Amino acid sequence: MTLGDLHITHAPGAVVAHLVGEIDMSNAEDLGAAVIGATPNEVRGVVLDLSHVDYLDSAGIWIIHGMRASLLARGQRLVLVIPPRSPVYDTLRLSGAERPGEVVEELDAALRAFEPEPSGDS
Amino acid sequence: MGSGQVALEPAEPILDAPDQVRSSYRFSDPALSELRIDELLDELLIRIQEALGVDTAAILLLDAEAQQLVARAAKGIEEEVERGVRIPIGRGFAGRIAAERVAIFIADVDHADILNPILREKGIRSLLGLPLIVEGQVIGVLHVGSLRARTFGPNDLAVLQLAAARAGPAIERAQLTARLEHEHNVSTALQRSLLPKRFGAVVGVTVAARYLPAREEVGGDWYDVIELPRGRVGLVIGDVVGHGVAAASLMGRLRTALHAYAIESHGPGRTLELVDRFVQSLNEPAMATAAYAVFDTYSLTVQYATAGHLPPVVISPSGARVIDLTPAPPLGAFPYGRCPEHEFSLDREDVLFLYTDGLVERRGIPLTDGIEALVTAVRGAGSPEEACVAAVADLVPLTGLRDDVAIVALQNSPIPAELKLRLPAEPRTLAHVRRTIRRWLVERGGGATEVAEVTIAVSEACANAIEHAYPPAPATFELRASCEYDEVTITVRDTGQWRPPRGENRGRGLSIMSTAMDHVQVDRFDEGTEVVLRRRLSHR
Repeated sequence: MTLGDLHITHAPGAVVAHLVGEIDMSNAEDLGAAVIGATPNEVRGVVLDLSHVDYLDSAGIWIIHGMRASLLARGQRLVLVIPPRSPVYDTLRLSGAERPGEVVEELDAALRAFEPEPSGDS
Repeated sequence: MGSGQVALEPAEPILDAPDQVRSSYRFSDPALSELRIDELLDELLIRIQEALGVDTAAILLLDAEAQQLVARAAKGIEEEVERGVRIPIGRGFAGRIAAERVAIFIADVDHADILNPILREKGIRSLLGLPLIVEGQVIGVLHVGSLRARTFGPNDLAVLQLAAARAGPAIERAQLTARLEHEHNVSTALQRSLLPKRFGAVVGVTVAARYLPAREEVGGDWYDVIELPRGRVGLVIGDVVGHGVAAASLMGRLRTALHAYAIESHGPGRTLELVDRFVQSLNEPAMATAAYAVFDTYSLTVQYATAGHLPPVVISPSGARVIDLTPAPPLGAFPYGRCPEHEFSLDREDVLFLYTDGLVERRGIPLTDGIEALVTAVRGAGSPEEACVAAVADLVPLTGLRDDVAIVALQNSPIPAELKLRLPAEPRTLAHVRRTIRRWLVERGGGATEVAEVTIAVSEACANAIEHAYPPAPATFELRASCEYDEVTITVRDTGQWRPPRGENRGRGLSIMSTAMDHVQVDRFDEGTEVVLRRRLSHR
């Protein structure tokens, strides 16, 4: 069985990385590198969808911070999708971590964050 | 074509009576029937050499695909077989015999006409050969040769015809047997290669399986064990209608399709529906029965779907019973088939036993009696392995099976109340630790939230042990767990050096442990580090 997995989709202005399964020190680094590798310079950022992650530990939190730093260095944003009471939410609560970046509860909200601002004269 | 090459009409029966009897006997000796094909051909060639006083005798067989004759047995020119001489049909001495289906005599060999270098090297002067014909088909060529110039007459040809009449059918039979054996071996090997050999260790379950081929032909039975996310494990049994390589090959495709849909986390009903659509999409007549069970090691229930398959048996410490479920139609039977799901519980130590019809179907005995015999056979089995052994011992006839049999059995195996594990200090151990601890906590009556929280704390403690244990420290660590008056105590002990958390984020492991547990204690010894975690379970 594959412990955790990643699939990438594309939304206007953003790469959407859907993580599923379990993320721990055995796969966190590779998954993080895969997300960064799948992110071209042209997009404005990454939506990291953690809604379907069954398990995430401190190694996962560490990697999320690493991803945010890598993206920031390229002037890109990281928006996390973490529904309340999901396993990732619980890990963050236990770790006492301040929100590891920009967090929304639903994927739609994350996608909206990358939509172009309506222009003033429309 | 060279001079002196004569096509002969089939020989008239002009042998005198004693000669004919002697020659007939030479080649129809019942003792020859005892010989295997290679020995028989050798013996026939020796007898031909004696009867005709020739220096060489050889049999070449037709390779129909290549349209070539291949040397199969030879006397006096043994190199012919060793070197695997091949003669194209229609060319050279033997090639013409096969193409024109006539006996040919060459009194004085014109070496330009001889393709076979060995005949030339040997200095053969005269040759006589005839086609081996079985049921109107040329299957090869038999020829004899002489080192001195010699005229082969009708008597010689008649003797050779008697030998050919003996050799032809024997060769045909041997080739048929070899083909059948080959098909049987291929399909058995295929079948075996398509079935899983090892199962990953799933915490809280024990699994055993069998595949028994039929006496005559391989079939399309299969089983599978699939580890699924969130503490679940899938168990598959299936049976493709039909036999032989085709059934085995379809089985391989269905097993793969089912496995692929299953790991996408479709439930058993939807998984079988998708496999049904897959069967419908094949442009070939294909039908199979299958059942797919998903055992949840946390809820201790089985989700079950069956497409025309025989009912499962559950073996409990108190006895064994058939789980009666209405099956959906077989896979490939009707377009847009629906496959409902059933649920039943699998209590501690219960064994779920899945099988194919070859195990319970006997000519002249009602199927229900066969299933009843199975229930009787496996009653009292304390493990999946014991259940397989009992079923095979009681139900498989000593004379072999008419139909192949697949069995797969899974036990809800409780894990000990006190755990003491020595584990490899590798990152991939963590997933195993979490499954073990989760299952252990569920069995201690832990509620969903506390199970999740304790599990992450233990996984963090083990992650530390794995980080400390990198070389040159020994690459194992110890995990102990016990529960007293609702308080769980989990100890993780490594033999490496405790390293203070490095960096802001690396320290999170420790804060997770502290928040998730009532009590966390880290002790550093010369020989390693011990982390003790305690929490009182509130069962919520």
